[in-house]
Amino acid sequence: MIQKKICMVGAFATGKTSLVARFVRSIYSDVYQTTVGVKIDKKLVNLDSQEVSLILWDLYGEDELQKVRMSYLRGASGYFLVVDGTRRSTFETALALQAKVEQTIGAVPFILVLNKLDLQADWELEEGRSPR
Amino acid sequence: MIGPAIRRAIATALEATLQSLNQALENSLTPQSFAWRLEALQTGKSFAEVVLLRTLLYRVEQVFLIHKETSLLLHHVAAPGVETLDADLVSAMLKAIQDFVCDSFNTSSGDSLDTLRFGELTLWIEQGPQAVLAGVIRGNAPYELRTVFQQAIEKIHQVQGKALADFQGNAAVFEASHADLEDCLRSRYQHKKQGNKAYAWVAMGMLLLALGVFGFFGFRARQRWATYLEQLKAEPGIVVIEAKRGWRKYFITGLRDPLAVDPAQLLQPVGINPQAVVSQWEPYLSFDSELAATRVKDLLKPPATVSLSLDEDGVLRMSGTAPRAWIAEAQQLAQFIPGVTQVEVADLIETEAELESIQRQIENQILQFQEGQTAIAPHQDESLQTLVEQIKRLITIAAALNQTVQVEAIGRANNNGSEAQNLALSQSRADAIVALLVSAGIEPESLTARGIGTRNPLQNQSGISTVEINRSVSFKVSLTDESHSEISNP
Ligand SMILES: Nc1nc2c(ncn2[C@@H]2O[C@H](COP(=O)(O)OP(=O)(O)OP(=O)(O)O)[C@@H](O)[C@H]2O)c(=O)[nH]1
Ligand SMILES: [Mg+2]
Repeated sequence: MIQKKICMVGAFATGKTSLVARFVRSIYSDVYQTTVGVKIDKKLVNLDSQEVSLILWDLYGEDELQKVRMSYLRGASGYFLVVDGTRRSTFETALALQAKVEQTIGAVPFILVLNKLDLQADWELEEGRSPR
Repeated sequence: MIGPAIRRAIATALEATLQSLNQALENSLTPQSFAWRLEALQTGKSFAEVVLLRTLLYRVEQVFLIHKETSLLLHHVAAPGVETLDADLVSAMLKAIQDFVCDSFNTSSGDSLDTLRFGELTLWIEQGPQAVLAGVIRGNAPYELRTVFQQAIEKIHQVQGKALADFQGNAAVFEASHADLEDCLRSRYQHKKQGNKAYAWVAMGMLLLALGVFGFFGFRARQRWATYLEQLKAEPGIVVIEAKRGWRKYFITGLRDPLAVDPAQLLQPVGINPQAVVSQWEPYLSFDSELAATRVKDLLKPPATVSLSLDEDGVLRMSGTAPRAWIAEAQQLAQFIPGVTQVEVADLIETEAELESIQRQIENQILQFQEGQTAIAPHQDESLQTLVEQIKRLITIAAALNQTVQVEAIGRANNNGSEAQNLALSQSRADAIVALLVSAGIEPESLTARGIGTRNPLQNQSGISTVEINRSVSFKVSLTDESHSEISNP
């Protein structure tokens, strides 16, 4: 069986933990409990009729006080950059983080997730518009 | 984040172990297992848990082979009976915590976390260049075990160095390390012996015997204590208020008349160690007649010639003889003595009166002699005997009044013969009587002898002729008050 380490990276309260919970256990909660350190989960997926075990590292979100430590990303096969659509700053954080990660562990594939689609009305980000 | 997960894994594993252990031990009967059962009962732990706790030196319960770069699990083994949580997760968490520690505490790059402890569990991490070996150990592993881990991780690197370097997430190839990992699953227990049934029964028998002996001693101690309490209750002047038997000690409180026996002195005779008894006695006055009688004696200090009796109703009867002064004082005092309600002195004779009467009796005695003889005439033994007793009694009574007695034997002769002869004869007769009295046990200091010849003759009495009556010895008693003797006899 193939195993892959995948990391959840982004600013605080963007919905990293919520995404993992939804993906692994199909649950969702409105209650915000910030992640301290790292929370690890596992999800088995079928890829081209091959079973892959995803080891999901849900890292604490970055804020002014605490930068994400790059050592947690070592050995990751890919990562999600999670952005909260209602807060433009989280997109900027994501970009900065992406650059930092690539600098540390190389050009590893990543997916940028624009979260909180249901609150699209309040988004500070619009399609086709550069955030800056 | 890692602690609870591993702990849970361990707990599950432990439970499984305990189950099997439980079954194995349930039927065994050893003194050891008996003690463990007792401990289990006392601590509320399960029996198997106690056994494990008491016998386990250490046990490697799980071994993880973890890829360093990706922190992905390469291989995992667990001791039999140990069920594990998702080893993939554990290995990732382990790596995460290592990273966390290294980052947080700014250790130099060469250093790495190699030991973690959660209560009874120790996590050992043995670093290799590409992979690490992590062992979950219960108890205190000996340092030699490190070598085992080191050799295992080295061997894995030697054999699978290429696979480690090329690792892309497919762990199947590391199945090959299984034997090396299993080799690390070591354990040591203190007691591996199977319960020896015969030994067990002997031990059980001894235990029963001990219980029996203990029970016997307990029974005997109880008996003794009961006896002691019985005796105390029977003692006048002792009131037991509370008596308790504790573990090894006795406690007793009560009232005690100062004249009553010392309760501590009754302990040894019934076989109780006085050291084991904590007693508190408050003084009180008992109206018990026996004690009241003692109290009366203590206070009145009666002379030896007085006997006292106190009846149930508190009537004090005094009999015998006593100095007038003492009788007066005693009568006064006695009515104030607790336990005395009435004083009877009808049978009490004043010493002074008795003294006078005996003196008179002695002075009325005469001992006779035959014509011209200096030896006492026959058939007067009884008179002599009476005289001896009277003198002795006189001395005793006089002593009670602080007086000394002098008895003078006065010898006489009738007027036959010359006066000189008669004087000598009378002196010899007095001397002879004094000698008799001394030989009968009267102190010579109390006696004097004087012959008076025909002077001061006795008048005839009750049909005895004047001639006869003056061939005799009569007596004169003189009493000297000791306290005044110097004044009266300057
Ligand atoms: N409306 C809405 N709320 C969301 C969505 N996803 C997450 N949330 C809420 O956003 C808050 C933060 O979610 P988390 O998943 O805890 O965020 P996080 O990125 O893990 O936060 P940190 O761990 O603090 O970095 C919670 O109250 C969630 O309920 C979403 O798609 N829509
Ligand atoms: Mg979170």
